Amino acid sequence: MSSPKEIIEAAYKENRTFLMEHEAKRICKFYGIPVTRFKVAKTAKEAAEKALEIGFPVVLKIISPDIVHKSDVGGVKLDLKSKEEVIKAYNEIMENVKKAKPNARIIGVLVQEMVPPSTEVIIGVSKDPQFGPAIMFGLGGIFVEILKDVSFRIAPLRRKDAEEMIREIKSYPILAGARGRPPLDIEEIIHILMAVSRMCMEHPEINQLDLNPIMVYEKGAKVVDARIILEKKA
Amino acid sequence: MDAEPSKNHIRNVVKQISFLLSPRTIAVIGASRTPGKIGHEILRNIVEYGFKGKVYPVNPNADEILGMKCYKSVLDIPDEVDMAVVVIPAQFVKEAIEQCGKKGVKAVAVISSGFGEVGKVKEEKEIVETAHKYGMRLLGPNIVGVYYAPIMLNATFGPRDVRVGNIAFITQSGALAIALMGWTILHDIGLSAIVSLGNKADIDDGDLLYFFEQDRNTRVILIYMEGVKDGRKFFKACKRVSLEKPIIVLKAGRSERGAIAASSHTGSLAGSDIIYDAAFKQTGVLRAKDIQEAFDWARAFASIDPPKREGVVIITNGGGAGVMATDACEENGLKLLEIPEDLARKFRECMPPFGSTKNPIDLTGQATDEKYEEAIRIAMMDERIGGIIAIYCHTAITDPVKLSHAITRAVYETGRLKPITVCYIGGERCYKGMKVLNEANIPAYPTPEQAVSAMAALYKWARFIKKEKAAKTSPKS
Repeated sequence: MSSPKEIIEAAYKENRTFLMEHEAKRICKFYGIPVTRFKVAKTAKEAAEKALEIGFPVVLKIISPDIVHKSDVGGVKLDLKSKEEVIKAYNEIMENVKKAKPNARIIGVLVQEMVPPSTEVIIGVSKDPQFGPAIMFGLGGIFVEILKDVSFRIAPLRRKDAEEMIREIKSYPILAGARGRPPLDIEEIIHILMAVSRMCMEHPEINQLDLNPIMVYEKGAKVVDARIILEKKA
Repeated sequence: MDAEPSKNHIRNVVKQISFLLSPRTIAVIGASRTPGKIGHEILRNIVEYGFKGKVYPVNPNADEILGMKCYKSVLDIPDEVDMAVVVIPAQFVKEAIEQCGKKGVKAVAVISSGFGEVGKVKEEKEIVETAHKYGMRLLGPNIVGVYYAPIMLNATFGPRDVRVGNIAFITQSGALAIALMGWTILHDIGLSAIVSLGNKADIDDGDLLYFFEQDRNTRVILIYMEGVKDGRKFFKACKRVSLEKPIIVLKAGRSERGAIAASSHTGSLAGSDIIYDAAFKQTGVLRAKDIQEAFDWARAFASIDPPKREGVVIITNGGGAGVMATDACEENGLKLLEIPEDLARKFRECMPPFGSTKNPIDLTGQATDEKYEEAIRIAMMDERIGGIIAIYCHTAITDPVKLSHAITRAVYETGRLKPITVCYIGGERCYKGMKVLNEANIPAYPTPEQAVSAMAALYKWARFIKKEKAAKTSPKS
């Protein structure tokens, strides 16, 4: 498997500042961030085989250096429960993409495990012109979008900073186990935050990173989607 | 990866800033004979405030200013020159700095405007490069000057009668520096230093933080800023310095329109306020929302030590004021102590039967200065209490000035074991009473909210230090 440095350099070589999902997830994996299991497939048959290896249900997502918003072009199919469904979904995705973006270069599809729903959190990084990489944390969905219930810290994070930024959001009780619900794995969120901090300190080329959503369970967590955008090369 | 600044680097910066703030000799380049001109007023302030070193006016067109011999050029001064204040039109500044360099001047403060703030970025860069070529540091341009109490240096064109104290005030805005100099005089607030940063072309907040960290005359650092030029540098400096001394920041440009105004003001990249806020939280910087709050906190840190344990008591003679203080405590994250039975019995002795020994301790409107003194002594001596907020509503029973003396006795005779903030609500006599307290280093305020907010700031910093220490010893960090 390629190292983060190699992945970043390969993207720059192709004049890309946007990393494809499998690339972003490989970098995450390198830093010990738990991502959903995934494999790259280039044909419908291969997709079905990979799905079998991962285990049903699965998700298919288009992989293209020219497509940033995969759902917008019909490039995502969820909850596929059999080989037949995977093959059908693969062909549909290819047709949709051809219609929506006829000139897009297609690498294949990402076959990804479909994880059970749970409380969603978001971790993001954006580079501030003054302070450098700033890390954001919040609960997914309405909490981030409508209530703007997020916290920020400047990288590098110490454990104390990660703990504080989790506790600081108003919706923290949801994670800690409000109204008789079991507490979620906050230790794992701390782990991801620290890993993200390390990642962007070691790779200053990273301009933006989005882990959204991350499913958090009573034990463990899974990053479902990862996006990385690199600095423009001077 | 960006490394923390080395000890050597910090030592160097401190030395460079020492030449700026604590020079033995100063040249005023652009000294003027004409009262009302900046070049005149700065020289006069230096002389009349009682600068302990030597000052040399420089002006090619004058022989004598304020009875002092005037030199044609800094190069003609028959003495070493540590620091030069430059007060000449922008187009001549570069040449003057060049001469300072040749003379062996160690630091220059460029008062002159007409650089980055009006788009002359190239010219600004050039004067910094010229200074650096000779190993000099440059303050400004576009500033009102510097003030440093220990050597009675007032090289500003602000008021002359600044009160000596232990608050270091760093400000990006020059007008605010001068205005607040007057304001602090009125409010009996003492300053150890005032540094106007202006365009921050070279010396910035980060550099000064390292100086004030080790400055024995400074207990608390107060910064007014619209933005920093090098956020990373500032972040690292705060991280280190706020472990030693509290840093209070008043950052303007919180609103979107405010941020736009800030960026056009000193040409600084204002950046996102939310990120500044994160940086402050992470480094223990206390962010004040306005001038009043910033100086209220600074006064508290300047006068008393932060608390050692949680648990605040409110002692009052008015139920209403006690309730307001209680609300403010809750809003500011201060925990009121549940008064244990044995302590309640002691407080009971200080009040009539209809008083209350529940926190707030209500001594009632009948409270005399003796009763206040007794109650404060009890609170000072009890180990379970972390901090005291004493509130007094003006009554005919007790004179505020007399009460101030009683409170001072109670605080000092018990050894000042814990912080106390005081609030006097009332008229002129109350202000006289508060003056007595402030002079005795017992911070006093005209509203309960201010007394509570000041106590909360002390707690906030104390908690930050405690957490940092815990994080350092924890194996997981």
